[in-house]
Amino acid sequence: MHYIGLYIEFIKLKIMGVAEYRKSFLLGALAQAAAYGAEFLLIWVLVDKFQSVHGWGSYEVMFLYALNLASYALAGFFLFTPCTQLSFMIKNGSFDEILTRPLNSFLYLISKEFNSAYISHLLLSIFIIFICFHQLGIALTFVKWMGLLVCLLGGALIQGAGFVATSVPAFWFVETQGLRNIFFFQLRNFIRYPVSAYNKFVQIVLTLLLPYAFINFYPSQFFLEKSDFMMFSPSFQYGCPFVGLLLFGLSYWFWNVGINHYKSTGS
Amino acid sequence: MALIELNDVCKEFKIFKRNKGFIHSVKSIVHREYEIKKAVDHVSFSIEKGELVGYIGPNGAGKSTTIKMLAGILLPTSGSVLVNGRIPYKNRKENAMRIGLVFGQRSQLYWNLPMEETFDLYRKIYRIDKSRFKQNVEFYTALLQMEDFLRTPVRQLSLGQRMRAELVVSLLHDPDILYLDEPTIGLDVLIKRNIRHFIKEINREKKMTVMLTTHDMDDIEQICSRIITIDKGKIVYDGDIDAFKDRFGNGHTLVVDFQDEHVAIRDARLKVVKEEGARKWILFNKEQISVAEAITWVARNYEITDIQVKEPGIEEAVRGIYGETG
Repeated sequence: MHYIGLYIEFIKLKIMGVAEYRKSFLLGALAQAAAYGAEFLLIWVLVDKFQSVHGWGSYEVMFLYALNLASYALAGFFLFTPCTQLSFMIKNGSFDEILTRPLNSFLYLISKEFNSAYISHLLLSIFIIFICFHQLGIALTFVKWMGLLVCLLGGALIQGAGFVATSVPAFWFVETQGLRNIFFFQLRNFIRYPVSAYNKFVQIVLTLLLPYAFINFYPSQFFLEKSDFMMFSPSFQYGCPFVGLLLFGLSYWFWNVGINHYKSTGS
Repeated sequence: MALIELNDVCKEFKIFKRNKGFIHSVKSIVHREYEIKKAVDHVSFSIEKGELVGYIGPNGAGKSTTIKMLAGILLPTSGSVLVNGRIPYKNRKENAMRIGLVFGQRSQLYWNLPMEETFDLYRKIYRIDKSRFKQNVEFYTALLQMEDFLRTPVRQLSLGQRMRAELVVSLLHDPDILYLDEPTIGLDVLIKRNIRHFIKEINREKKMTVMLTTHDMDDIEQICSRIITIDKGKIVYDGDIDAFKDRFGNGHTLVVDFQDEHVAIRDARLKVVKEEGARKWILFNKEQISVAEAITWVARNYEITDIQVKEPGIEEAVRGIYGETG
């Protein structure tokens, strides 16, 4: 509870800080919205041209993308800045301050830094999700509403785990940008399109090793009433929140290992 | 039991050995050599509640490493660290609740906002109750004369104003111990005096234990009752300041303006260490010749226009130590 109050306090401070640089905030949000808006348009044009990708129509692929972006935006709001700043903070010594407070270091770091620019991603992608539902003629029942909520949170946990797990090595190597680019940003790009369109190896990797497919591909089967499960069980369509909790738990454990290493070696 | 207890503490860092040149640089990608650096080497000391201790040593001597171990940020390689009966790195959060920490070169304030907002944030972080918080803010800001700039965004403050805000932030939760890492670095004489007075005042009023690292020997001379000096990770001296000056200082100095430029001092106990025309700096040890005797001797034997006595300075003493071991 204490951390929630604290988080609100930090948000208050951030908003007050943003108020000092109003134009920069607005321009940033607009630029982000424009960039991702163009991405959606590109997907729509591409899929529309080719009719479908492995049996997925243009609004279905757009739905995949929107689910990915919405959960990414949720995770990014909380984790992008702390995770990308971590190696910099360790290098210049400002990470020590995190450890001098009577707070959980992970939660403190997260509440100190968040990225408000992701609000525009989130709004844009939720807007697209509703357009897709509408265009595909799928009724939003209560179950689907709840499912959407759970799936966005679960997806955000998976994405968050990706952020954290690729940042913690900063406690050993100092520089982690390359790691994050490959294992998080680049490999995650696979899930822009239905995973079933790739070969078996990629399907297995994205399901079992780097389970990014649980962010959008499997849950979409539930929302869009499809059954494109490749070699895996149809129960995977409900897997998103469980995979999210498990991965995020693991990445938090990894964080603690990193902190202990930092304390024993210094920077 | 003492408030702070270090017993035979060592802290080693493994550092990657960098050799000069391109070839070595490429080689280091495949094979790296490391060397072990002992930042803190078998250090033991204890500090009682209410003491005001200066912790001094040249750059890289191990001061910050010691403070980081006391704050629970770093784990000692060997030995035991106890603060208020707790092991800081094991009880990092409990320990953090009871200490205040100021790093002179690093800020804990919010750049864009007036310091009052940062104060509010720290009230939440340390769960300080409202009335105590209000009381503390009033007490500290009055003592540091900060009323004029409480509402100014921190980025517009001068270094001296900011440093005072840093002090307040680290004290709002009434810590038992205050660690100050170079609190007067880069400040003007007036602010330095203000801050020194403040540190003495909180030590007296609130019985707060203060441990302070600095390179400004006036800080030490004016506020500390005890100094611990460290060099290359080892404790060189631990005790009161006067004894320190006697042990490491060279002695008293007479600065004499003679009427005649060419005078020779014919006394083995008096050594001329510096000359500038008719002005000479004469060094002596008060065990060999008393201050009064030295003055009378010079005044009786020569025609002089002016004479001054300089006490042995702590700065010379410290230079003595750094020189000795370095």
